Amino acid sequence: MRPAAMAALAVALLCGLLSPLVVLRRLAFVGQGVSHAAFGGVGVAAVLGLFAAGGGTASLLGAWGVVALFCVAAALGMGALSRRTGVSEDTAIGVLLVASMALGFLLLQLQRGRAGSQAVSVEGFLFGQVATIGTLEATMAWTVLAVSFVTLWAARRPLLFWAFDEPMAESVGVRVGGIQALLMVLLAVAVVVTMQLAGVILATAMLVLPGATALQLTRRWGTTLVLSVGVGVLGVTLGLVASFETDWQPGPNIALAYVALFALARGWNHLRHRGSGSAVSS
Amino acid sequence: MTPPAIRLRDVTFGWPGQPPAVENVSLEVRRGERLAIIGPNGGGKSTLLRLILGELRPNRGSVEVLGMPPSQARREGRIGYLPQRSAADRGFPLSVRQVVEMGASTGLRPWTRLPEDRRQRVDKALEQVAMAELSDRPVGALSGGQFQRTLLARALAVDPDILVLDEPTSALDAGAQEQLARVLASLQAEGDLTMVIVSHDIRALAAPRGEGEIPAGSFCDRVACLRRTLHFHASPEGITPQVLAHVFEHDLSSVFGQVQVEARSRAGD
Repeated sequence: MRPAAMAALAVALLCGLLSPLVVLRRLAFVGQGVSHAAFGGVGVAAVLGLFAAGGGTASLLGAWGVVALFCVAAALGMGALSRRTGVSEDTAIGVLLVASMALGFLLLQLQRGRAGSQAVSVEGFLFGQVATIGTLEATMAWTVLAVSFVTLWAARRPLLFWAFDEPMAESVGVRVGGIQALLMVLLAVAVVVTMQLAGVILATAMLVLPGATALQLTRRWGTTLVLSVGVGVLGVTLGLVASFETDWQPGPNIALAYVALFALARGWNHLRHRGSGSAVSS
Repeated sequence: MTPPAIRLRDVTFGWPGQPPAVENVSLEVRRGERLAIIGPNGGGKSTLLRLILGELRPNRGSVEVLGMPPSQARREGRIGYLPQRSAADRGFPLSVRQVVEMGASTGLRPWTRLPEDRRQRVDKALEQVAMAELSDRPVGALSGGQFQRTLLARALAVDPDILVLDEPTSALDAGAQEQLARVLASLQAEGDLTMVIVSHDIRALAAPRGEGEIPAGSFCDRVACLRRTLHFHASPEGITPQVLAHVFEHDLSSVFGQVQVEARSRAGD
């Protein structure tokens, strides 16, 4: 249980940090696409036998490596796919999302047919499971958090400039292509560790809702980050407690906790500005 | 011999398969000069600006800014730019000061703190646009005019040699236009900043009201009238209703008359 709590804390902090940018740059659907791509990676890793019980740390690391590869490829590839095929990025995400989900599911079925009782839990990957979060996963989560934090801090100025006003940033020499790619990679890796806890379907909840909630409450960047991280941790805590009490999967419980927090923030925002016509929006 | 701020030599530009947007334009802007570019919509004003900013390369002819290619001047922070339609996201939770700091941070290593001289640039820019008191306000809480002045401060924080403004007042209400005009006039009173202002508003030639330390007087030294080619390029006094009619292809004498009356009454204040 303890590694799971450690991992959950790291994931909550990470999602709290990234969420405001995900919301402000309208990357929710991209996040959804990436997490579904993860499912495709899960299928491939399962068929390769990397998720087999008793396979050891190296095998498991390899499995998550495959998943990470799928996520990063999806995150970076969506833009490229859209350009190559001439479809909108929205459509490209839709296509990728559906293809990965279907592929993942079929491959898991294949693995299930072969492995019998050793079959990987599909539901666990879809909605998260606490039982399989061990020391390895917790270490991964904290490593990703540390690297992401340092990267976001170091690149904070060009990142904010790009997020706020991309054309102007580009014209004064900010490497907007590189910044975008960097954010995509951070997002992809965040999805990998988040889906271990919340599952593929609802990982996006953790990446979108903390930031969305914070933006209901403030118009200052520093405060947004603090609130987003705070909501992130609170939501995960509530969700995990509910999950233990009810013995249901963590994903839906965490997602519902976030939705409830968002609704509270929205309600408070609305009440605070009732009649003044100047509600904080996001 | 120091090169002029901007030099266009026989510049022609057109999109493939289309007639040229600007044709055979030769123009020199001296350092410290204020140039207004007026003309009808579709006449090539924005295209000319983009050529000056290095966003477009001419099909024929050459563009030099401070003796170098425009894109280089841009990267070196020699040109500050206030675009007509900003892509800036006003829903972003940033303060006025944070936005202006973006302009002051060009060329710095991303992970360093803003050094003291750059901080002072930010303070100065905020003073120049009369937004110092609102520096802590979130941009989402600003009026249109205040946001425009914030973006102007961001362009000034780059500490440019040349300031380029594309229709700075077109989206503002009358009060905000007045305020911005005063800010632009006061900029000139201070240093040798070269300014190029594109406008389709004939009031770009009119004098803002003098107030306190801000002098009355036209805030442009010369006017260029552009409709694909340069129809006029001299001091504002030379603009006659005939010139305007030729450039705008309409009889604007009634508007022109009004502008003259306004200018005279302001000078007399």
